[in-house]
Amino acid sequence: MPAYDALIIISMALILIITEPLPLPAIAMFMLFMQVILGIDTANNVASSFMNDAVFFIMGSLMLAVAIVSQGLDKRLALGIIKITGHKTWRIIAGFTAISAILSSFIGEHTVAAMMMPVGLTLVRYAHKDPRKVKGLTAALLFSIAYGATIGSIGTPSGGGRNVIMMNYWAEFGAGTVSYLEWMKYIYPMVLIQIPFTVLILLRTFKPEQSNLDSAVRKLVVDVARAGKIKAREWVAISLFVLVFFGWVFLSEDYGLGIIALVGVFLYLAFGLVEWNELNRKTNWGVILLFGAAISIGIQMNKTGAAQWVANVIINNLSQVISSPEVLQGSVSVLLTGVMSNILSSSATVAVVGPIVLDLGGDPILIGFATAISSAFGYFTAVAAPACTIIYSSGLVKSKDFLRAGWKMGVLSVLSLLGLALFWWPVL
Amino acid sequence: MMSKHSLINPESLRFLTAVSSSEFSRPTLAMGSLIASVFDASLGVVYVGEKANEFHGGAVNLTRQNLETWDIIHPGLDVLKWALQELKKLNPENTDLAKIQFNTDHVFEEDGRIKIIMPDKEDGRIELILREGELVDQLRKEIQLESYDLAIIGGSQNKQHLAHSIIQYLPSSVFVLQKFAPRKKYKLLLLVDDSQATAKSVEWGALIAQKLGWPVKTLTVSKTKLFGPGYQGAADMAKAYFEARNIDVEQHFITGDPVSTFVDFAGDDHIVIMGASTLNPVKQLLFGSKPIKTLARTDVPILIVR
Amino acid sequence: MRISADMIFWIQQKRWLFIAFISGAILYHFVPGPASLSPEGYHILIIIFMTLILILKEPVPLPAIALQLIFWQVILGGSTPNEVGSYFMNDAVFFIMGSLMLAVAIVSQGLDKRLALGIIRFTGNKTWRIVSGFTAISAILSSFVGPHMVTAMLLPVALTLIKFTSGDAKSKSGLTAALLFSIAYGATIGSIGTPSGGGRNVIMMNYWAEFGSGSLSYLEWMKLVYPMVLIEIPLTILIILKTFPPEMQVLDTAVRRLIVEVAHSGKISAREVMTIVLFGFVLLGWMLLSEDYGLGSIALIGVFLYLAFGLVSWKDLSLGVNWGVILLFGSTISIGVQMKNTGGAAWLADLSVGLLTAVIPNIEALRAIVSVALSGVMSNLLSSSATVAVVGPIVLNLGGDPILLGLSSVIASAFGYFTAVAAPACTIIYSSGLVKASDFLQAGWKMAVMSVLSLMFIALLWWPVLH
Repeated sequence: MPAYDALIIISMALILIITEPLPLPAIAMFMLFMQVILGIDTANNVASSFMNDAVFFIMGSLMLAVAIVSQGLDKRLALGIIKITGHKTWRIIAGFTAISAILSSFIGEHTVAAMMMPVGLTLVRYAHKDPRKVKGLTAALLFSIAYGATIGSIGTPSGGGRNVIMMNYWAEFGAGTVSYLEWMKYIYPMVLIQIPFTVLILLRTFKPEQSNLDSAVRKLVVDVARAGKIKAREWVAISLFVLVFFGWVFLSEDYGLGIIALVGVFLYLAFGLVEWNELNRKTNWGVILLFGAAISIGIQMNKTGAAQWVANVIINNLSQVISSPEVLQGSVSVLLTGVMSNILSSSATVAVVGPIVLDLGGDPILIGFATAISSAFGYFTAVAAPACTIIYSSGLVKSKDFLRAGWKMGVLSVLSLLGLALFWWPVL
Repeated sequence: MMSKHSLINPESLRFLTAVSSSEFSRPTLAMGSLIASVFDASLGVVYVGEKANEFHGGAVNLTRQNLETWDIIHPGLDVLKWALQELKKLNPENTDLAKIQFNTDHVFEEDGRIKIIMPDKEDGRIELILREGELVDQLRKEIQLESYDLAIIGGSQNKQHLAHSIIQYLPSSVFVLQKFAPRKKYKLLLLVDDSQATAKSVEWGALIAQKLGWPVKTLTVSKTKLFGPGYQGAADMAKAYFEARNIDVEQHFITGDPVSTFVDFAGDDHIVIMGASTLNPVKQLLFGSKPIKTLARTDVPILIVR
Repeated sequence: MRISADMIFWIQQKRWLFIAFISGAILYHFVPGPASLSPEGYHILIIIFMTLILILKEPVPLPAIALQLIFWQVILGGSTPNEVGSYFMNDAVFFIMGSLMLAVAIVSQGLDKRLALGIIRFTGNKTWRIVSGFTAISAILSSFVGPHMVTAMLLPVALTLIKFTSGDAKSKSGLTAALLFSIAYGATIGSIGTPSGGGRNVIMMNYWAEFGSGSLSYLEWMKLVYPMVLIEIPLTILIILKTFPPEMQVLDTAVRRLIVEVAHSGKISAREVMTIVLFGFVLLGWMLLSEDYGLGSIALIGVFLYLAFGLVSWKDLSLGVNWGVILLFGSTISIGVQMKNTGGAAWLADLSVGLLTAVIPNIEALRAIVSVALSGVMSNLLSSSATVAVVGPIVLNLGGDPILLGLSSVIASAFGYFTAVAAPACTIIYSSGLVKASDFLQAGWKMAVMSVLSLMFIALLWWPVLH
């Protein structure tokens, strides 16, 4: 049965991703050709499911990151941020988390992760020439970006595609509508609560080796000074990026995030700001393959009904344990969504789980919120969320790191959601 | 107009020589080597090869990597190897140079082009650089990257089009060596007028005259019989500059069309030194400029100072 | 001042970019499309028009051209990004990705030295035998594994022989050209022999499947096309020896030194055996399983196995593959599919038939001539894969037998003998710096005539017997 085969592939892939006996791109290929061999779909269809706007986006943002770094813009941005946060490591981590969270609540986690990653990498490189000596610091910095972006992405409707999907479902189910500001009223407090706790988790889990980054900052200042005043080329590079940024914010409805990212890369190439040779060498193509493969398998899980089957199994089992319907709905939506969105993309998860959960009864708005929020709990694997994929592509964090911090984040988020649901929503 | 601080720092000059295939580049290399040694300066030797068509770039790279396991190197590297041997032949007394071996293990890619690192030397460092792509574009990038002061380029068959681009777009001073005969005793013809670049041209002229011992003449051309204060002042400054350094200089003042006069005067035994045009780039593109026209019509080496 | 000089330089360098986009904009906004063509089809043709200008003049690097091909489809063509994505990626793109990676994996094992030994032992040291041996072996090998691998492995042998032959470059220019072209032309004529011989073959198979035109199994393709390869081999050898007469009749010194050099490789190691065995599996998979699983998936399985057995590292693969090629592949295929879907391909097909009916009354001949001429000419400008991607849908809309017409188009796209652009093998030998563009022209026209005649021969005498 195709659904069963899809589940087999996913389980095998998950094990391979976490234990990492093979290079990840090999796992990506495995996921792709197994779909063909097990007869889930034809080669052409598997291929078609691989490439779509999301993969264009990952490809485009990774290439943009290479272009930005080749112009040295990341250094200037890093310096700018440090001026605000100061040199103490914990303040920098806090700053990154807060900035990523707040920005991503308005413009989406993808963009923020793509933007901030070169900056984070720059700081890491300046902290110590040998990245192995500063594993803790590296992980803390990169995860502050990824997790910051993820926790922020639930804050407003524009924070993520899944939010929009849920709003669509409410309309379809006749549950009413929620305005932009109402959404914020319901959910922003959770974002704000999570920021400090996330910082705490990061600092405790990854224990940065240096308590302040004075030497790194000094080197950074010297390098930026040596680069001199911002030259014409760099202004062009900055303006192009701002253009892409606005494109993401305003035009992504019409054209998709990915296409806009590709336009950005095209412009960088056309203006001669980066050579194709550099893009070819420095872009992490393995990660793009992995992402595409994960999306492909996600689509198959949907198409073959495997996703629905898993959902039903969980519900049936839980309903035997939990008698209270509200608690049942709550735990189902949170558990189901949280787990699945680490495998599928968060939008796909909401798309699949949304109807099931909304059917369970209860207040669809609250259940819908809970689902949308928990679909953002993509902390555990490199493919859980684009932000995670993006930081993973740096090659400086391992799958284990995702697990180590991820479970704590999961607990934090569930508790915050509980707190929000029990204390804040009844007030509203 | 002549500033107290000189515009050129003779202690830290960097020269760039562009070579093409081995047959045509001997004179260029000779001049590069000569200038670098008299100035005790570093010399970059760059070869700009043709870029493999992108459609099959991957296959070409794969093949090249495989070729390396057979000890067959990039054809551009072959040209650079030849260039190094020529440099050694041209400077037999330079023992440091003689010790340098062309070693493909010291090849590495940096800043988008391939560089061969010579073991560290204090003076007269030689750098061999391999680039791929369009000639003018790659030279621009190299000059911008390493801040060369002077680019020495051989005259080529495709004079018109290439000359235009080279003069207009290379950000350093450019020395176009047409029909350069290394052993010939040239005379320097320095074009003096009231433009900004004249000051620096005069400095270059003096430096070259001093180091190579070639006689200097200045030429000021006016379209009318009148030589205004700008022209006259410039010529006087030049004379003062040369005399302060004990260099004899002949001064000429001729009335006529500037470019034809330059060409006729230069004949075939002068090296012309002139400042780059100060015209708006768009006008230069459409109408040409004095340096461009001069280069098009004469066959002698021209140094265009920026 | 500095800034404006830079700007002027940039504008001058990129002028064709502006020309292409501005003409596209003018056509889009001000020039209405032909009545017989749907507006979407017209837009797709505008995109192709702009892309052709960009490819010919290259004001921006080719991968950038691939990117603009993708985003114009969304912005001008009105497709959604997911649609474009789904057309972009298919089995053919998997195949090109996989076969490029396999080439990297295999070439990096150093098997070419053993191959060289085998070839030289077989051919001996007479020049004409070496040239013939190279041609034949390049052709046969590349028909199964594709021209990249073969050229990458054989070129060092040829260059070493040349290196070890005494005399300066001029005195052995005939020999040099003969040896190099024997590899390049051999690999090119061979690459049509089986579906796995080249990415363009898989593109055509993909189109057949997508357009519902039928299909060919691996062995059926071979039956139809391999005889042509076998005919072309001796004719190619003749042409090469006549156009580039080698100065030396015997290469004994060079061969002796070559043997000394390659004999150092020692006993065959476990890695090398593993490499050959795994590749054997891939080949078997292509021959027997490709109808079910697709050539691309099988290629990916091969790459997976090489990675899993540690025969190659992902880093080497990622650096060795030029991802721009894959982007180009995918984007040209996506535009080809769009051409078909929007009716642009059908319109172009009708147009060409309409124009030429007056000149060529026989409709069968007309169709054949259009496919062959279009593919043959275009592939000298674009590469053969881009040609098949763009011309394929047109050819398949001409009517007649899509399988035979598609095959002729693929075969003709390999007739890119005049420039270094069309075939990877030609680009590779050109990049050695030892052959000139004029050499390509000298031999190219003869090869083109020979190939067209061979195709006619096969099409008129062999195909009717089988099909």
